[in-house]
Amino acid sequence: VQPPERPLQAEEWNRLRESFQSPHMFEEVMFNSMVKYNSPVDVAKSLLTHVANSNGDIAYNLLLKYLALCVQQGQTSEICDLYDIMKFRFKKLESGAYNLFIRGLSNSDQWRMALTLLEEVKTVTVPSRTNYECCIIAAGRHQEMKLAFGLYHEMLAKDLVPSSIVLQALFDFNRGIKDAKLQKELFDVLFYLRDNQIHPHRAFMWSIKLWFESIPGGKWKGHLTNIKESGQCPVCNHQLENSDLTEEEYNNLREKIIKDVIHGTDTFRKTSPKEFEAFQTFVEDRLPFDIVIDGLNVSHIKPRKMQCENLFDAVNCLAKENVRLLVLGRKHMLVNSSNWRKEIMKEMQNKADFFFADNISEDDAFLLYATLRSGKHCKFVTRDFLRDHKACLSDSVTRQLFHKWQRGHQIAFSCSVEGRSIHFLPALCYDVVVQTSGNTWHIPYRDTLEDKNSYRIPRKWLCIQQK
Amino acid sequence: MQSANMLLKKMARRSVLLFAAQHGLKKDLFPLSRTLSLSLPLKQDNSCSPSEKLDLDAWKKVMKSGLQEVPERKELSELDGAREILEMWRLAGRAVPEKISEDQLKTFMECPSKSAKKKYLKFLHIRELQKKNDRRKLDEKKERRLQAQEQVSKADDENKTKSFMCMLSSGMDRAYSWRAAQSMVFGQPLVFDMSYEKDMSVREVTNTVKQIVLSEGCNRRSMDPFHIHFCNLRDDSLYHREFVKFYREAWGKLLITVTDQCYTEVFPKDKLIYLTADSPKVMKTFDHDKVYIVGSMVDKSIKTGVSLARAKRLGLETAALPLEKYLLWNSGAKNLTLDQMMHILLTLKDTGDWKAALEFVPKRKYCGFVNKPVSELQKTLNLMNTLKLGRRREETQKQFAKNYSKKLKHK
Repeated sequence: VQPPERPLQAEEWNRLRESFQSPHMFEEVMFNSMVKYNSPVDVAKSLLTHVANSNGDIAYNLLLKYLALCVQQGQTSEICDLYDIMKFRFKKLESGAYNLFIRGLSNSDQWRMALTLLEEVKTVTVPSRTNYECCIIAAGRHQEMKLAFGLYHEMLAKDLVPSSIVLQALFDFNRGIKDAKLQKELFDVLFYLRDNQIHPHRAFMWSIKLWFESIPGGKWKGHLTNIKESGQCPVCNHQLENSDLTEEEYNNLREKIIKDVIHGTDTFRKTSPKEFEAFQTFVEDRLPFDIVIDGLNVSHIKPRKMQCENLFDAVNCLAKENVRLLVLGRKHMLVNSSNWRKEIMKEMQNKADFFFADNISEDDAFLLYATLRSGKHCKFVTRDFLRDHKACLSDSVTRQLFHKWQRGHQIAFSCSVEGRSIHFLPALCYDVVVQTSGNTWHIPYRDTLEDKNSYRIPRKWLCIQQK
Repeated sequence: MQSANMLLKKMARRSVLLFAAQHGLKKDLFPLSRTLSLSLPLKQDNSCSPSEKLDLDAWKKVMKSGLQEVPERKELSELDGAREILEMWRLAGRAVPEKISEDQLKTFMECPSKSAKKKYLKFLHIRELQKKNDRRKLDEKKERRLQAQEQVSKADDENKTKSFMCMLSSGMDRAYSWRAAQSMVFGQPLVFDMSYEKDMSVREVTNTVKQIVLSEGCNRRSMDPFHIHFCNLRDDSLYHREFVKFYREAWGKLLITVTDQCYTEVFPKDKLIYLTADSPKVMKTFDHDKVYIVGSMVDKSIKTGVSLARAKRLGLETAALPLEKYLLWNSGAKNLTLDQMMHILLTLKDTGDWKAALEFVPKRKYCGFVNKPVSELQKTLNLMNTLKLGRRREETQKQFAKNYSKKLKHK
């Protein structure tokens, strides 16, 4: 339905309503289309008047839709009126109405009322992320930074995850302000990005850069750059942090992997106790390895080639002097078949250690265990992102540890289209997180908003140094 | 003509706007809290003189009049508070049930997150709608029957037909019971493994029991029923309580074997075969000397390998239905409901015909039966998809590749 362009008289509405196929839904449908086409408020008002005069009352959902229209057009006085009416008519409001009120009022000069509404929501339920964000942005826009940060901390305390929009807004609103306390708050936001391994997108990165450069007397200067493979920043020659875990974190991670990934709710789901024990003694006997290879994953790299040849190429590529390799596979690889030739398997077994799991066991879990058991220098080779294993970990702290460890220890590979050789992408020797050394900051950023895949590591950096 | 119309429109709009502005000014003079009980005269005003300019804010006055007395704010208990919120959500047009019991309200409040609450309410709402619909249909049926009876009673004596119907159904019941009793002595055992309670949510357990009740029903009505065993069923378990809720007094009279023992204690181990979709082995034929085990589990969150793990722990043989061999799989998980399993096993036992048995797999999950070489089928499937839905074609192809590529390579 196309809403009319001008306010209508009662009988005109009546005529419209009668021509509509299901008259009892007419008002609802009409209001929906008004919101969709962003009709003038006066048209909506005339319909409301018509409804009020013919029914003596207006249903809650119609008021809600009218409210949505007002919020969409920023009609502040109407929103305030509506609040009074709805509060008068209905003792309690529900979250949908509060969301609209807060959004509408926070964009206007009545923004303090949004704060009182936020308090009202708190008596009923936990406010949503957007509730908080609207209020924070409103407070920030009016330079009430203390209030904004207060709300921000309250939100974090309630386990709500702030979106990058609000974080970016905090940097924008503080541009050019000289206040040590606020500066510290913003540094804390950067540490929040670091702790949660969030990579800002390009626009957010610009806000951070501009904020740094605007600090009065701070003498900060930002540059966009790419970090060298060695982990050195070409602008300030600062060496980035490496991705090694501490001894404690390392042991923690290993134990959690054994507990959550390998055993989980039932050891029999991924392996069996007997097999796992056999594997443990196998690993202990031959420690330490330098590279652990997921044999089956590697063997599928070129679909046209025989699987064992693929694996053979990979092993040859990685086998250098004094490098100890462990290849994990399944028992079916030992049975002579068109894909797995016995001779080639024999030859490979001279160059690397092999462990064959049962055909219905999960070899990835063994891969993780063997790599972690061998020590910090040990890397592993697979194209798998290991997301399912990460998901098995019970708490987010360990998950992030795992992610960090994975960034530093996974060797990914690809095969060039024409060439015969397999191309290995070495694991990064530096850690891709927001980091600081006091007078420098290094912030990795994504090029676009959409590129949200957490397993894809950004390669672009913002280098900020103090002169 | 057109331009004149436009002019008129413009004028009308301007005058309305002017009026609104004036009125806006006037409105500001009144404090908002003051209530105006003008609804009646206002209504009359509007109806009397339609030519008068529209009062755009008239609805506000109407809304502020009316309910004058705001009841005293009592300290609401948590339950009442929740009830009030639900009422508001219902007014706002969300999927919320109209009536909600105390217990349901408590479950609602115990939901751990907002989305869990929403989901639970939606579930209740849909169930309410279904119940309402059923009631309506029942009433309609009753009415129709009454009408029919009236017509029949005029023509014929209806008592005869009624008693005849009664006898028929009770006789059927007796025949079924007789067969089931026979199966308890001579029939092939079929085990339901009731040890998954801790892997499931309450709703999943309820659904499991529902499915088992259905399977038991279709087993009873079959020509040659299985001897059903419920193994690992403890007396105080949720399964047990749900069963009693369903069967009531009939629970004690069911012609099945219920035990808290494990099947490994009841049957020799080498006769047991655990049926699970995760099994690497595929069932070729139905063996009349074996005891098949079905895991009584509904897993809405696809917990891979739970029943396989159980069979592995006990060192039992496992098998999966040869779904890929006989059906061109389309979408959906390969785990089937328990009553579907029961239908399939019964058909296999009676006929040994896979095609007839796998008719019970839901139609949405597969595209057709495999009777030609797989490559040819793929061609027709591709053609079908290009004709039907260009966009989803690649997806189906990928699915197909996933299901069949390995086998093709092996051949």
